[in-house]
Amino acid sequence: MSLKYVGKNITRPDAVKKITGKSLFLDDIKLPGMLYTAILTPPTAHAKIVSINTSAAEKEPGVIKVVTGKGIDFLFGDNVKDRVPMAVDRVRYIGEPVAAVIAENPHQAKMALKKIEVKYKTLPVYTDAREALKKKAALIHPESGNYWHLPGMGPEAKTNIADHYLLKKGDVKKGFAEADLVLEGEFNYPFGSSAAIEPHGTIALHHEDGGIEIWSSSICPFVIREDIARTYKLPVASVRVHIPEVGGCFGYKSDVTVEQTIAYIASFVPGRPVKWVASRKEDFLSTLLGHGIRTKFKVGVKKNGKLTALQTTILHSTGAYVDTGLHVMRGSTHNSTGTYEFPNCYLDGYSVYTNTPPVGAYRGYGHQESQLGIERMMDMLARKLGMDPFKLRESNYLGPGKMTALGEKLWESNGNVKKCADIVRKKIFAGKKKKEDADYYYGRGFAAIMKSPKGAPFSSKSCYLKFNVDGSVSINMGGAEVGQGLRNVVRLVAAEALKIDPSRISVYTEIDTQFSPWEWQTIGSMFTIQGGRAVVRAAEKAIHQLKKTAMQALKCDYDMLEYDGDYVFLSSDPSVRVSVPSLTQGYMTEDGITIGEVVHTTSDARLPRYSNPDANGQGSCGVTYTFGAQACEIKIEKKTGKIIVDHFASSFDVGQVINPIQIRGQVVGGVVMAVGSTLYEEIKFDADGVCPNPHFSKYRFPTINDAPAKQTVEFVETPGKIGPFGARGIGEHPVIGVAPAVLNAVYDATGIDFYEIPLSPEKVKAALDAKGDR
Amino acid sequence: MSEKITFKVNGRERTVELEGWERGLDVLRENLGLTGSKRGCDDATCGACTVVVNGEAKKSCVLLAKKLDGADILTIEGISKGKKLHPIQDALIEAGAVQCGYCTPGIVLELYALFSKNLSVSKKEIKDALAKHLCRCTGYEAILEGALLAQSKLKKNLSVKRPSRRFCNV
Ligand code: FES
Ligand code: FES
Repeated sequence: MSLKYVGKNITRPDAVKKITGKSLFLDDIKLPGMLYTAILTPPTAHAKIVSINTSAAEKEPGVIKVVTGKGIDFLFGDNVKDRVPMAVDRVRYIGEPVAAVIAENPHQAKMALKKIEVKYKTLPVYTDAREALKKKAALIHPESGNYWHLPGMGPEAKTNIADHYLLKKGDVKKGFAEADLVLEGEFNYPFGSSAAIEPHGTIALHHEDGGIEIWSSSICPFVIREDIARTYKLPVASVRVHIPEVGGCFGYKSDVTVEQTIAYIASFVPGRPVKWVASRKEDFLSTLLGHGIRTKFKVGVKKNGKLTALQTTILHSTGAYVDTGLHVMRGSTHNSTGTYEFPNCYLDGYSVYTNTPPVGAYRGYGHQESQLGIERMMDMLARKLGMDPFKLRESNYLGPGKMTALGEKLWESNGNVKKCADIVRKKIFAGKKKKEDADYYYGRGFAAIMKSPKGAPFSSKSCYLKFNVDGSVSINMGGAEVGQGLRNVVRLVAAEALKIDPSRISVYTEIDTQFSPWEWQTIGSMFTIQGGRAVVRAAEKAIHQLKKTAMQALKCDYDMLEYDGDYVFLSSDPSVRVSVPSLTQGYMTEDGITIGEVVHTTSDARLPRYSNPDANGQGSCGVTYTFGAQACEIKIEKKTGKIIVDHFASSFDVGQVINPIQIRGQVVGGVVMAVGSTLYEEIKFDADGVCPNPHFSKYRFPTINDAPAKQTVEFVETPGKIGPFGARGIGEHPVIGVAPAVLNAVYDATGIDFYEIPLSPEKVKAALDAKGDR
Repeated sequence: MSEKITFKVNGRERTVELEGWERGLDVLRENLGLTGSKRGCDDATCGACTVVVNGEAKKSCVLLAKKLDGADILTIEGISKGKKLHPIQDALIEAGAVQCGYCTPGIVLELYALFSKNLSVSKKEIKDALAKHLCRCTGYEAILEGALLAQSKLKKNLSVKRPSRRFCNV
């Protein structure tokens, strides 16, 4: 298929507004009569609230109202209703809202906050799932057995287990019996923050007529709308949610996070909008964290390299509330096979309540956490077998005719991992490894990756497309632009499908549930594939409408007509034609009588046949897969233990590149983000559940000097069957293989196996010294 | 105790009444409505709030507002002329350096101050200036590419002698 616009570097439509500082982000919005709120959080992560005294705070200048959670009689949550908008009688994590001040300006609100007195009675604090699982552990949610939850998921009463997912394929005992070698390993991917540069924020307004209006730097306006409507017992139509420009998301602005809290606070001042924007500390500790996943692997393999069995335990410290976290654990569990076919699997995942901020989506959604394990295991297995690690992998790659752990059969259209692996292998491993010198060890490492989207039964995206009188086109959708460039994807896909120049297509700039067509939420690297499909379907419908009117205008049969973007014409005689603009609002005949319809269409698209897991945990819950491979060359400074990534290569089978500059930007940015996780980033908690490093100065975030000196990015384009023009997603994929590739390279350089990140210079140095001593 | 300060922003003289606690960023965003400068952190680490003060790139979130009395400030709102973007802006767009755009205004102003002082800075010096900024989206590659492109565009402009801009002789 020759494509005219898809695959070309056409500048994104929002670039100028962004570079002139004119894009409106949440914090840039000022509404008439707006008030500001500041939120009090506790000094310890697990405690009963004995008393709250707000009287001094109420007398502070500018204070309108002081709010506590006393008397809240509802829980919220999409998967498990276990959340409260503000602590009622106990706090469960360090960022939990305990009270709030509403004031005329943010400074006054913050000052008055200091005057609130709270007495706590401390409870035992668990910051790691392993502690919370102990027999005598106190219950973080004593009443979790009564919580509403979606069928097939949710807490186990009288334990701190918040969700359990078991996936079985074949017979794992038999598989291990057949193995010539069984190897075990334990890995840890600690807490991190998505840490978009724009902190999360919300404005909430309870109108006097009962309706509620919310502005949020979120990617799930419709989830928020439905959730708020349920809480306040309103028709969903009475809640309106606006999403302005979003300054990066990377996961944690999905699901309902702070919106319920701000809506609750604002409910005390009907008629006045109340704004809250997180400080960086609040963004870390009072929204959603990422990861917190420990994994155990047991892999069986035959001498010839054929994998026979996989047993994994995924232990997720899900935080104080599980609602958003359980799917991360589930995704992590069913993706713990990585890109390999195991005939026998026993994959056992637990989300466990802990006294840490709730974990939610983080770019990669469980994949990097468990694929760190499997990709390290593959290297270690190859070593034990005395086999080339590439050969071991190649003997087991998923591909056409193979079955995933979920029992989904793969086809050629799912993409080709081997091709990706060959590309990065050539880039990184072609020459000889650099020899150790006085200052550095050198190493090379590889990881193959698999990414499945995280679907849900109603995970649709919709598109509203209208032709204007001049033949230009306006498109409205509910997908959140967070920087990833989806507006350009929409525009290029529409241009291709409608055969018109992208400059004639305008794409929505903000989401407003009052006007935007419904979309579940912009997650799971699904927008290109699903949203793009919705655009193609809407375009096809619009062309159909144009032809229907043209058929009357030209007095001919429908199937004799063709469309080229400018005209609808007779295929047998293109000079018999009618222009698109003359058809858009219906066609006016010579006598002024108008025939036909206004050309505007709606469409939707979801992942085909997504299903809930069956009794074995299997089903079509992966739905479509993307494969790729990543590899790197590193050096390790002997003196300090510092790891320097010199060259990082990535290749993914994306089906079809939509925009080369943007897709490279996604990969390069994702790799640097994951280099951050691998080498520097960790949100820590002490014994009281207090975070000692809730600021960028202590949460080491990669700067330009930490980015790999060179990145190579290449794509394989095996067309998929679902997405527009064969395209698949890319947003999350680049973060998945980074940690294992780097850790495999560290072994290559030093002969030391690491199982945990971040790999700080201190850790590496200590291990090097210990090795030297031996 | 309120206090008045007068300073120049984007070539215009402005007078603002302070309560005393405000930082430069608060004055720009809240008092003057110049919301192109962004806040991304609490500890002067992200660079999203960077503006040019008396020719130097400064993190406005830590500048005490009263110290701005008499200063000459350039914000992102003053850098392009109507629909005509500054070459730094053109270059960053061309390189694909704009993703979410939240870090972008600060980076534009950092480069503006850098190139205004010395257009012949080395790549290393450009990287050191950019290292004062956090970007979660791009991985910095396109930003560096855009910065280098901007440098060469500005050098070309210099050779055709554009009329000088404020702070910027290029
Ligand atoms: S807001 Fe000023 S440096 Fe982050
Ligand atoms: S473009 Fe998003 S933070 Fe830089």
